[in-house]
Amino acid sequence: MDFTKKRTIIVGAGFTGIQLARNLVAEGGDVTLIDNDAEKVSHSRNLLDCAVMQAEGNSLKTLEDAGIASAGALVTLTEDDETNMITCSLVEATHPGVLKIARVRNAAYYLSGPSGGLPIPGIDHTVNPDVEAADAICRAISHGAGGNVIELGGGFGIVSLSIAEGSALAGLRLRDLRTIPDWRSLVAYAESADGASLPSGETMLPAGGRVGVVCSIADIPQVMRLAAAGDGEPLSRVVVFGAGRVGALVVDRLCSARQANAGTGVNEILLVDSNEELCREAAERNADIRVMCAEITDEDFMQEERISECDLLVAASGNCDRNLVVSSYLKSRGVRRSIALTESSELDDVGRKLGVDVAVPLRDAVVDSIMSHLRGRNVRAVHTVCNRLFEIVECDVAAGSRVADKPLREISRPGEYLLLLIRHAGEEVFELPGGDTTVEAGARVVLVVRAGDSRIIRLFGGKA
Amino acid sequence: MSFPALRILSAVVGMVAASLILPMAVAARDGEWRSFLAFAAPMAASWLAVLALWLSKRSRSEKAEMTVRHAFVLVGGAWTAIGVFGAIPLWLSGVFPSFTDALFESVSGFTTTGASVLGDVENLPRSVNLWRCMTHWLGGMGVVVLVVALVPILGVGGFRLIKAETTGPEKSKITARVAETAKALWSIYLALTMAETLLLRLAGMEWFDSLCHAFSTLGTGGFSTRNDSIGAFSNAWVEIVITVFMVLASLNFALYYRALSGRLREIARDSELRVFATIFVSALLVVTVANACNMPLAASLRYSAFQVASIMSTTGFGTSDYTEWHPVAKSVILCLFFIGGCSGSTAGGIKVVRWTVLAKQLVCDLRRLLHPHEVFTLRLNGEPGREKLVPLAASFIFAYLSLAIVTAFFGAMAGLDITTAFSGAISMIGNVGPAFGDLGPSANYGSIPAALKWWYCFAMLAGRLELYTMFILVGVAIRRMTARSSK
Repeated sequence: MDFTKKRTIIVGAGFTGIQLARNLVAEGGDVTLIDNDAEKVSHSRNLLDCAVMQAEGNSLKTLEDAGIASAGALVTLTEDDETNMITCSLVEATHPGVLKIARVRNAAYYLSGPSGGLPIPGIDHTVNPDVEAADAICRAISHGAGGNVIELGGGFGIVSLSIAEGSALAGLRLRDLRTIPDWRSLVAYAESADGASLPSGETMLPAGGRVGVVCSIADIPQVMRLAAAGDGEPLSRVVVFGAGRVGALVVDRLCSARQANAGTGVNEILLVDSNEELCREAAERNADIRVMCAEITDEDFMQEERISECDLLVAASGNCDRNLVVSSYLKSRGVRRSIALTESSELDDVGRKLGVDVAVPLRDAVVDSIMSHLRGRNVRAVHTVCNRLFEIVECDVAAGSRVADKPLREISRPGEYLLLLIRHAGEEVFELPGGDTTVEAGARVVLVVRAGDSRIIRLFGGKA
Repeated sequence: MSFPALRILSAVVGMVAASLILPMAVAARDGEWRSFLAFAAPMAASWLAVLALWLSKRSRSEKAEMTVRHAFVLVGGAWTAIGVFGAIPLWLSGVFPSFTDALFESVSGFTTTGASVLGDVENLPRSVNLWRCMTHWLGGMGVVVLVVALVPILGVGGFRLIKAETTGPEKSKITARVAETAKALWSIYLALTMAETLLLRLAGMEWFDSLCHAFSTLGTGGFSTRNDSIGAFSNAWVEIVITVFMVLASLNFALYYRALSGRLREIARDSELRVFATIFVSALLVVTVANACNMPLAASLRYSAFQVASIMSTTGFGTSDYTEWHPVAKSVILCLFFIGGCSGSTAGGIKVVRWTVLAKQLVCDLRRLLHPHEVFTLRLNGEPGREKLVPLAASFIFAYLSLAIVTAFFGAMAGLDITTAFSGAISMIGNVGPAFGDLGPSANYGSIPAALKWWYCFAMLAGRLELYTMFILVGVAIRRMTARSSK
């Protein structure tokens, strides 16, 4: 069932709530946004073409006034985990048919599963922005911090990277990529100064532009080398700026990977924050890292700890603007690579211009995760890319869908979507499709579509 | 003293009195009738007193919550009482020249010091020798722990009593209920004692000697039935068994409980155990090499291992006179006097965990000089945030050394030379037994003045109860006395 066809009630009109409402409205969805803060409500009314209520979102009466009885989904995104969870439980008691999604930031409440949070009784899905962001940062680190990496399962991923001046890819047309020895990848989208597009054989890869390349995980180093994104050197000494939620999770994951000898190549981890309490907690939690309580840009501190000689800076503090500034400054001082946690993908361009190698948007991953749940059972994952212009959608082909059992060349719609990968029913691994590949019911496909174009998703995931 | 406190005190003394049955049985079997009466009289008297007390009216206050102060005063008082009570049969048996000597021997026994006033113990009645060794065994794990395990007194405050008696800077229950903790500790203790008795018998000792030496070893005491201690047996197997059990007795008994519960990872992570092993092996290597200058390497290893284990566990058994060893070996032995065993063991001394905490803090302080912005946390057994133990360990060592200096000063006033006075003080407070100089392993404490023997009794009790219990008892007593005199 596609829940976006029915009313969606969103409690909490913060950045994520507004972004989610905007995405749903753009798809023609019926959205009611609830918040008790007059300023946020006023701001939302100016931004969104949907119903916005100023009321207590955790009150059942408010939810009934908002039309919970006829709603398809409830998404709770207030700042308070307990409010989010209890509101879902209340609705479960009175309207069990409504899909309930809660944002949970406290790690103690969040049960991590293989693909996001595990359901808690009364809540169908939990989403945790910090975990999603930390995972994205760690994926980027494990691939040399050359670009954002989305892992799709089945041994494939999408790496989003900039094409450096003078690199092997710079100036090539897509059809010429076949001339590169051992090239087994596919360009999902391309972005240049003129704008972004779903590529065709004639699309040029300009130096300084960005591309999203679908390839097997093993081929990511080759793609990065061809685009000259990253230097291929191991990231031995890593400094993490910010001991808050995301920074702490990144450190935990790096330590676990190091203990499991997962080959990240990280030998020394320095965690820097100016908050004494956070530093003390971090030092107590991790015996294998060094925790510094200091202003990271303090000149004396940088010299004492040879910060400029670090291989990688991960700026993951709660102040996303500062993350960009610190990343840019430390790169200028000699740090080889940098990853910055940003508020949203709108700041990706700014980050790139400041010299940041990888920008990880904190909020977008949550919105993507919620959208994937709202789009029904057939949609497994949604990843917004290219400044929210495109979506990478992982979905199962429904039995009786209009595209089922047809070869790809018959169902292709150039400029509207691209079928990037297919995993045939009963198989474990994805493969790159050809024109003769048949898209049978039960197969899992990875598509790139224009953001908000839910028709294509319904084409594959819905019945004719 | 309040009514419930008297009941607890009577239970502790009654428990010690009950244990006199064993030496009484030996005395009866061997026809040592004077000794038999010496044991029977105090036992009967104490039981009558206990019975009278327990049958008398039960006031409401006995259900009162035991305060921290009560617990310290009660445990300090109980240990003083059992020291005196244990001395009565020794004195009545007629083998000790004075009550002071009998008291010194009794306190030395219960506190597991093992310093004797007698030069010749081989001609003592067997029942007296058994009692001397039994005092080690009872005092080693703690009589109060035994009482909490077996007698359902009050039902509350038991853990406070155990905390005031057991060793180490941190006290924790190994099971949810305090009586179960006490039972578990005593069961492990009993099992180890039985195992050692059996092994010593298999190694060639007689049953009686095996039992006596097992009591002495597990309590890390040091009384022997022979004048030349373990050296008299000239049996390498006996020495090996006793060396192993001295080491086992100086480890934290909670570790054995964890081992039996299958929590082996926790044992591997135990910081104190690791440091203990490191110190033991390092000391053994240095002493063995130093002694190898004067004897064959195999003999050096044999004597060095025994003596290092004996001093580090604060047992005080001897197979050779370490005061005649190479100066390097002697200095290592002297250092071991200051270290002691592990917390939660029957050993005395400052305890390895306190040195571990201070050493870790020193490393943190040095690293902080190089990295002024780095945040350090002190980890013990893998657990962070243990900085709170640093001031506890530092103040304990300060108190320990202060008491040692005062005790050494009293020793000097009594005419002891400086080496004897200082090493004697450390030996008393650390519950080791032998010292250096005139109080070396070949000598005894019979010749020191009576007043010093009384002070040494206090020092031994203070050392066994880790200073604070006795300090509080003395403080309370002084306050009561001054309050009474001012009225």
